[in-house]
Amino acid sequence: MDTSQYLEIFLDESKEHLQNLNTQIMELEQNPENMDTINEIFRAAHSLKGMAGTMGYKRMQNLTHDMENVFSEVRNGTFKVQPDMIDVLFKCLDALEEYVDNIQQTTDEGTNDNEDLIKILNDILKNNGQVKGGSSDSADAAPAESAPAASAESAPAENASASGASREKWHDIKIGDTEKMLIEKANSEGLKVYGVSVYVEEACVLKAARAFLVFKALEKLGEIIVSSPTVQDIEDEKFELSFSLIFISGNTRDEVIAAIKSVSEIEEALCEEYKLGETAAASSQESEKAAEKPAETKPAEAAPKPAPAAAKPAAGSAAKPAAKPVVNRTVRVDIEKLDNLMNLVSELIIAKNSLVAATATEGKDTNSAVNEQIEYLESVTTNLHESVMKVRMVPIESVVAKFPRMIRDLSKKLDKKMELYMSGEDTELDRTVVDEIGDPLMHMLRNSADHGLEPNDVRLANGKPEVGSIFLDAYQDGNNVVISVRDDGGGIDIEAVKSKAIERGTITPEQAENMTEKEVIDLLFLPSFSTAKKVSDVSGRGVGLDVVKSKIESLSGEVEVKNKFGEGSSWIIRLPLTLAIIQALMVVVGDEKYAIALGSIQTIEDVSPSDIKFVQAKEVIHIRGTVIPIIRLNKLLDIESTADENKNLTVIIVKKGDKQAGLVVDELIGQQEVVIKSMGKYIKVPKIISGATILGNGDVALIIDANALI
Amino acid sequence: MDEVKVMDEQKRNESLNRPVEHDTTQFIVTQLGNEQYGIDIKYISNIVRMQKITRVPQVYSYIKGVINLRGEVIPTISLRLKMGLSDDEITKKTRIIILKLEQHESIGVLVDEVKEVVTLDDEHIERPSYDKDEKSKFLSGVGKYDGKLISLLDINAVLSDVVDA
Repeated sequence: MDTSQYLEIFLDESKEHLQNLNTQIMELEQNPENMDTINEIFRAAHSLKGMAGTMGYKRMQNLTHDMENVFSEVRNGTFKVQPDMIDVLFKCLDALEEYVDNIQQTTDEGTNDNEDLIKILNDILKNNGQVKGGSSDSADAAPAESAPAASAESAPAENASASGASREKWHDIKIGDTEKMLIEKANSEGLKVYGVSVYVEEACVLKAARAFLVFKALEKLGEIIVSSPTVQDIEDEKFELSFSLIFISGNTRDEVIAAIKSVSEIEEALCEEYKLGETAAASSQESEKAAEKPAETKPAEAAPKPAPAAAKPAAGSAAKPAAKPVVNRTVRVDIEKLDNLMNLVSELIIAKNSLVAATATEGKDTNSAVNEQIEYLESVTTNLHESVMKVRMVPIESVVAKFPRMIRDLSKKLDKKMELYMSGEDTELDRTVVDEIGDPLMHMLRNSADHGLEPNDVRLANGKPEVGSIFLDAYQDGNNVVISVRDDGGGIDIEAVKSKAIERGTITPEQAENMTEKEVIDLLFLPSFSTAKKVSDVSGRGVGLDVVKSKIESLSGEVEVKNKFGEGSSWIIRLPLTLAIIQALMVVVGDEKYAIALGSIQTIEDVSPSDIKFVQAKEVIHIRGTVIPIIRLNKLLDIESTADENKNLTVIIVKKGDKQAGLVVDELIGQQEVVIKSMGKYIKVPKIISGATILGNGDVALIIDANALI
Repeated sequence: MDEVKVMDEQKRNESLNRPVEHDTTQFIVTQLGNEQYGIDIKYISNIVRMQKITRVPQVYSYIKGVINLRGEVIPTISLRLKMGLSDDEITKKTRIIILKLEQHESIGVLVDEVKEVVTLDDEHIERPSYDKDEKSKFLSGVGKYDGKLISLLDINAVLSDVVDA
């Protein structure tokens, strides 16, 4: 079978599965008894095996097969997850990644059989979860075996016993005065009152129709006085698999049940005589009842997908819901196709604008239906434009998700205890940028782990917590996305860098004397510069930071270092949002439209011309206790202002750090999402313009960088 | 793969019995005032009608601003101002020629009118003498075509100035 056309999908999906496995196994390490995690791992390993098999990658298939076996046993509760096992599993993942990389480069999985790993996995199976053979005496294995097994079994058992009573949902029906009266009347007339709960089959397609037939059948025998859910909801199919009702009839219970069962696709009909006063008893168990249905029908499955609330605590461990309870419905699209799509949308907008212009010049007697349609077209194209723009943005999560695993490995390799804390994984960047920042970030994290954090004993001696912390934070700051890597280690030893630089002949001792801290730190970004005493696996060959810097600069970003000797350092990457979407305030100055990033705007003030004072021949205003310099944008941008000089000024107060400034504009248009476009390198754009954007009508508007004004 | 393509190309040329032309260049002739200027066709990626140009503050006056070309923001310069002529008068014939130089981004050039495409033999192109004045430093030569003289623009010279500016 020719599978080459599926190769790309295979690669994408295997990488996704591997990443998923990495995350889940990390999770498992923290929480070894979480059945959801184990199930998820099993599923991912299973899919991977299937995919590898289909593509004919036998070695990969063998390895995943053995991993899957181990997990199958863990899932069945034969043995527990051991810390050693986690290490082995990570090694397996690395081996799998190697296969995938080989496949990507050569379409061949390579010749490494990874027999040692497979042997270890098989040993685990043989020895009931012990990584190194031999020591598996039964006393050791017994408790390990019993715990998950027992909890897995007990859960369905409890459910089953509890459900007998609670399945009669008609106990929950709330009885009003009218119903009470009817019931009493029926009792006095010698008629019987039944509580009925009907369960339709899970596979039933037309639940509402079945319910209707049940109602019809019952109405032949007597009178339905109340139902839950209401008749209307049942007709609209707003119910799960069951509905309940209270029913007055002269017939016997068996006759009623027979009537209900005469309708097909009814799984079960419960019917008892209904007595007033029973109602309150069971009402509190409502949530459990809803949950137990699937648990009973499939007692083998401990945690069915909709995660029944009641069954969970019974399952023993503090189970968190699996990371991806719902399958993401996504489509993979080539980025070139997206570019293409975006260009087409832009052309559509231009065409639409010409149409608008054409009808406008046509005269006033144009058909109003045409105008209506054009307006509709306008809103559709605007929405389309926005949607396409957003499609290109992806959260950086896809890149940073692999870092916790990396730090874990580094921690073991370097024999330092450390934790990685990440925030802002949902920060969005253009797809092309996201793909590129992975390597630089990895270098920086490695640097922090290796050079930044001191060995544990040194940390303790310095009065720091033994476990080092590395922080990876991402957030959007105005027109930039900032990603910072921070550690609480020793910081950069400026003197050590200097002496190293002198030793290497990069600078002379005299130069070193006069260098500022910043200049010294810049030395670190030179090629082949490393202060590590010895070259390690991790870093120290001096190929790191210069690569980081050039990479970031190629993305027109910058790297900034903040250093506090003894307290740690932070490395801050600032990336411009070349194709990012920002929230902006659209303003009018003269007859031109400009956008100001909403992030830097603090307030908008209405200022009377008489409130403007002069300090050192510069205009300022005094607002809420602060003196704020004001900048007349029309002067800065060389345009005639259209605003009346005697009327109040519209002043936009912008801030940068602690500093503020007021920008005078002629008019406000409103808030809008704008897409920042680069203006190219041909024209040297003044600093106050940070980019341009294309408005809904196809015009270009410039974006004012408020930060540059302050 | 590539080799095959090359061979195909050769074959096609042979089959068309096309003389291999080495020394001719195609130019697009544009009108600026009452002079005609030729722009080498290989630099031209597009010619569009006049559209709204968004002014960019604090830049050289010959930089007219930026336009939206199918979702791309493209800077646009006035060739008239660049050549030391009077400012552009926008008419129905005004066009923006989008140029794309190797390894550079696109740039728009405003011209009064786009007339025709001409193919000039090398022998019909007169190379300029050395004493270049302000205007002729942007010219790579003068072409003679159909009894008319066409100043041939040295696009790299015109734009290198913009890049440096």
